Amino acid sequence: MKINRRKLLSLLGVSPAILAGSPAVADDKKKKHAVPHGQEKVETLNPKGLPPPIQLFPMAPRLDTVDGKTIFLVSDGFAGADRFLNQIAVWFSKNKPSVKTVYRLKAGSYFDNDPKLMAEIKASGNAMIMAYGH
Amino acid sequence: MGFPTAPLVTIAFKDLAKSNAANRGMPGERICFLPHPMTNKSDEQMYAVLEGNDPVTNKPLMAEIIDALTKPLTADEKKTGMVNPDIGPATYVGTQDELQRLYCDNNMTDFMPIILPTAEKVEAMLKGTSHSPDEVVGKLSAAQGAQPSWSFTVKHVAINAVMAGASPEYLPVILAISATGQPALFSSTSSFSRMVLLNGPISDQIKMNYGIGAMGPFAEPNAVIGRAWTILSKNLGGCGRPGETYMGSLGSNFNYNNLCIAETENKLPDGWKPFHVQKGFKPDESVVSIFSGWSLNNVAWFPNMPYHELIKNWLTHFFSFGTAAATLLLDPTVARDAKDHGYNSKEALSDYWSKNSKTPAWLYWDTHRNELKQAQAGVEPYASYLKMGDGEIPFQRFYRRGRPGAPPDPNPKSSIEVVVLGGETNTYWAGGDFSYVTSASVDKWR
Repeated sequence: MKINRRKLLSLLGVSPAILAGSPAVADDKKKKHAVPHGQEKVETLNPKGLPPPIQLFPMAPRLDTVDGKTIFLVSDGFAGADRFLNQIAVWFSKNKPSVKTVYRLKAGSYFDNDPKLMAEIKASGNAMIMAYGH
Repeated sequence: MGFPTAPLVTIAFKDLAKSNAANRGMPGERICFLPHPMTNKSDEQMYAVLEGNDPVTNKPLMAEIIDALTKPLTADEKKTGMVNPDIGPATYVGTQDELQRLYCDNNMTDFMPIILPTAEKVEAMLKGTSHSPDEVVGKLSAAQGAQPSWSFTVKHVAINAVMAGASPEYLPVILAISATGQPALFSSTSSFSRMVLLNGPISDQIKMNYGIGAMGPFAEPNAVIGRAWTILSKNLGGCGRPGETYMGSLGSNFNYNNLCIAETENKLPDGWKPFHVQKGFKPDESVVSIFSGWSLNNVAWFPNMPYHELIKNWLTHFFSFGTAAATLLLDPTVARDAKDHGYNSKEALSDYWSKNSKTPAWLYWDTHRNELKQAQAGVEPYASYLKMGDGEIPFQRFYRRGRPGAPPDPNPKSSIEVVVLGGETNTYWAGGDFSYVTSASVDKWR
């Protein structure tokens, strides 16, 4: 029995167009399914490095009131912070005279810790107001 | 610390203060804000600030300060444990335009188009080094001690190098720069600039331009390596987020390229050492050297005096943020002029300048407040300085000095660095307040 190849391919689910050998037909097909220029999806890498994990610290318990307490007024060394903290001392003396204020200049650069001063405040004070950034 | 605290910060630093508190483990820190700036306010004006409102919450400031110290803690404020900052997904998918926009909008670029870092391009970049992609290169921070230090690997650097448009043969240079731990973008309000100098065989191997237009946009490696430093500083150190990790008020155009230059070693006068050799490396080693500063003067002036005398006078009067260090970038013609006048080494020239330059009176008194008080009390030599009026004070400011309070060095070293570069088209030079920071081997990263 003579089988028509075109018919056979159709029965197998293959497009008979492939027999045509016509590049025009194949190109038309491509054009129908091609992604427009510039619309191809690309995968790229995240350029970020690794920031360190952050340890959360609970904040220190608060005071029930500032009345009768000793508050350290600490300058971080920026120009004028000493004068501004002095005005806070003036404000407390006028508005909450039971508050005792103590002025201190923190040692080191603005971002350095001053363990000695922190120990002093913990031993002889109740709270700290620190000023300021510029 | 164990006791309640109310930190006060001016409003210009709101984002910085909040992110800093979060980075240090207290995202809910009760920061109270003041108007900005406070520095030049009178006592009366400062008191008025206390009687006014916090500019962020619009609540009375002193009531807020007292609340910060007394209001009971919330559950969030008592939290403990570890948190990993979110840096986004490992990969992004989109069209070229979408991805260009994504990298730009997320401040991962210098806001100029980038080469998109696909896995294939990064793999090709990694062929520029023998080091493993997973090897940790170092750490970067927008301000060491004040901002968190991020760590990064060879692969991270390669991704950023691709984005900047680098070729694989530039990768060892970019790795060496990043390994110094020096960010191109520093958080200071003063708008720091950085400079990177290449010395040794690497300059010719990658075709750095150190001839005509050595500091201009005339060669790919000069352009791309400097650019890569800025991009990687943003992505590998969290630097360059305005208001948070970058506070430079005016900013600096130098940050686009970070003055990426190479020394014209083949035109150095006889006896003058290349910069890396001055710093202890061998002539055949390839090295990057990092400088930090703010500004440059590009001087085109034909003096009726030798160039080294002109530069000495310029040093006396030069003033910017930095007043105690300088770097001179000399065209080879100017370097030869100095050599012809008897300066047989860069060091001899630097020493001459340090010893013989002076300081304008106004600048001296502005930076020596204690000495001014002594001068007014008749203490010598300050009293004599004060009698000089607006003239030049015989104070040599270009020496490396210890930290304030340190004992004086009997033999202080000059803080003036000399680099020779340029195309000899004229007897020009540039000088600025850049100081030398460090050098690193490029060969280590090949």
